[in-house]
Amino acid sequence: MLSQIREHIFETDVLVVGGGLAGNNAAIAALERKAKVIIAEKASLERCGAIAGGVDHFMAYLNTAPWDTREAYLEYVAKIARGAINIKIQDAVFCRELEDALERMERIGCTLKQSDGTYFRTRALGQPGPYFINFNGKNLKPALAREAKRLGVKVIEKCMITDLLFDGDKVIGALGFNIRTGDFYIIKSKATILATGCTTRLFQNPTGLPFNTWQCPADTGGAQVMAFKVGAKLANMEYMRITVVPKGFSAAGLNALTGMGGRFINARGEEFMKRYHPMGDKAPRSALVEAVIKEIQKGNGPIYIDCTHLSKSEIDHLNKTLGYDKDTLPDFLQQKGIDLSKDPLEVMYSEGMQAGPAEVCGSGIMIDEDTSSSVKGLFGAGDCTDQMRCVHVCTTGGYLAGKKAVEYAQGLSYLPKNDVKEIQKIKSSIYVPLTKKDGIPFQIIENTIRRIMWDYAGPVRNEKSLKVAIQKLEMLSEEAEKLKAKDFHELMRVHEAKQILEVGKIMCHASLERKETRFGVFHFRSDYPETREEFEGEIVIWQENGKIKKEFKKLDYTKII
Amino acid sequence: MPPFIDMNKCSGCSICDRVCPLDVIHFDHEKKSPIVKYPDECWHCGSCRLECPTAAIKIMFSPEMIY
Ligand SMILES: Cc1cc2nc3c(=O)[nH]c(=O)nc-3n(C[C@H](O)[C@H](O)[C@H](O)COP(=O)(O)OP(=O)(O)OC[C@H]3O[C@@H](n4cnc5c(N)ncnc54)[C@H](O)[C@@H]3O)c2cc1C
Ligand code: SF4
Ligand code: SF4
Repeated sequence: MLSQIREHIFETDVLVVGGGLAGNNAAIAALERKAKVIIAEKASLERCGAIAGGVDHFMAYLNTAPWDTREAYLEYVAKIARGAINIKIQDAVFCRELEDALERMERIGCTLKQSDGTYFRTRALGQPGPYFINFNGKNLKPALAREAKRLGVKVIEKCMITDLLFDGDKVIGALGFNIRTGDFYIIKSKATILATGCTTRLFQNPTGLPFNTWQCPADTGGAQVMAFKVGAKLANMEYMRITVVPKGFSAAGLNALTGMGGRFINARGEEFMKRYHPMGDKAPRSALVEAVIKEIQKGNGPIYIDCTHLSKSEIDHLNKTLGYDKDTLPDFLQQKGIDLSKDPLEVMYSEGMQAGPAEVCGSGIMIDEDTSSSVKGLFGAGDCTDQMRCVHVCTTGGYLAGKKAVEYAQGLSYLPKNDVKEIQKIKSSIYVPLTKKDGIPFQIIENTIRRIMWDYAGPVRNEKSLKVAIQKLEMLSEEAEKLKAKDFHELMRVHEAKQILEVGKIMCHASLERKETRFGVFHFRSDYPETREEFEGEIVIWQENGKIKKEFKKLDYTKII
Repeated sequence: MPPFIDMNKCSGCSICDRVCPLDVIHFDHEKKSPIVKYPDECWHCGSCRLECPTAAIKIMFSPEMIY
């Protein structure tokens, strides 16, 4: 079997793993600096990752008013993401790159402006003013792909990366396979940028349909797990992100509905959000989710978002733009028989995922102001890092990662050498599931992970439950050795399941360290229900000689730059 | 079956196979037609429909999601 697998070897200055929003921007930056760039992407560059079908808002300050400045923005993020966001890094990955990014969006043909040349701005999620620029982002991904291709990127499509090449000192490339043909890829690179997004399919899905996820189900924590394996530090890994979605369909669109003035109501028709948060329907996401869960627990469900009081022009705007964020949401509403001007829309909490606790910072590879990880040659971009999240920061920070990776690559005069034996060893382990005729299908392992995570490490956690989760996940790792695949598509799913399993374990270990509650249900410890000032910082977790190490890194909010 | 492909409209270009982020649609090169091979793994993102040059694709939600 293994002997029939074709092998391809590539050499490059910069390798980008994951060609989504952040990875694509990183590639553009590196290409503009004349570097040789390869993107390895599971799907196609044109439609992949979280923004495959579109997005509708870009958070930004535009210097039009006192709330609309860099300082005000940083103060806002220090408030909503306190304890997770590093202000200095946010300044580097977002503020210093913003002007360029706004210009780039226009240049590549995905304007943020309305047809009359103005910005349409709305306010939601705890903002001091309307920071969201609403725009039609349906074609943002194809536009980014076109630009990278114009600049000469090499894309290896339908390629899943499973392992990094590490020479004991630095990362020197990656290995992967084609999810259709099984071809094996050895990619040697001077600098490697991981940009594979957050981890979905990790928690039980309320609809029972594991791929019915809010974020992209192709994002399964590859970057986090591969970085962890080579000893890179991860941070903010303990947070379970969760949101409010239309009942039955885990679709984006909450910001659009509440930004336009939609109100949460319960079964009795009461508006209840103000009871849970002073900002009511415009409260930060973690507060909205917590309120919905509590209202349902109190017996006040079903819960709805009511837009029936909005004016005709507001409803028309919503109907026109809801599909910008989730292309198929209008179809869903139509097939469900919902007319937003007449019918409140039933909503529900979504599945959980491993992702940043706020719209401005992430969860994953710990990066510095240069987007570098703690391991040489390895950079992080986008949702898979501890300091980037959402369209605005993935655009600006992704681009910065590309710049910094090129600077690093230029400092190396030769392409590092690989250990051929080691590569062949990893290669045979990648294809093993194809030989397991009586093994376990990936669905069984994945469903079990999701149940364990939801039951013991979900919206309610405590020391005992987290330890039980770790113990069960460790036992499941032994079962996962028996995972089988009948073709290369299934081989991808098997490797995804293994990544999800590892992320679950890392999340529980990190969570044990945070002996407090922060961001409501995103990290609720029933044994430590208070938020404590001494925990205003990141839990950093990494691996050394096969042992898990953890430390607490305090974050400083005394001076907003 | 989330993406429903109207074979009378389909021109057999195989774009939907290429652009699906979840590898749900596989193009059968012998029969020159797309097959929704893994309907359970569809994300309902609409990418296939957005890119289909002949508007042959409809997104149909299963009752499991509607009710
Ligand atoms: C429907 C939707 C609407 C949204 N709307 C908005 C919005 O309007 N505004 C906003 O600010 N935020 C929005 N978000 C969030 C925002 O889109 C994400 O935070 C952002 O796009 C993440 O970018 P990323 O590059 O980190 O990940 P992604 O864009 O998801 O890219 C990750 C890529 O890595 C690939 N990949 C994964 N694993 C591997 C592997 N092992 N090997 C190779 N490739 C791999 C995946 O296929 C994927 O293409 C939305 C998210 C969704 C899902
Ligand atoms: S993209 Fe449309 S026309 Fe092309 S193969 Fe798919 S369904 Fe047929
Ligand atoms: S809707 Fe998205 S995930 Fe589903 S088949 Fe079409 S492209 Fe693939």
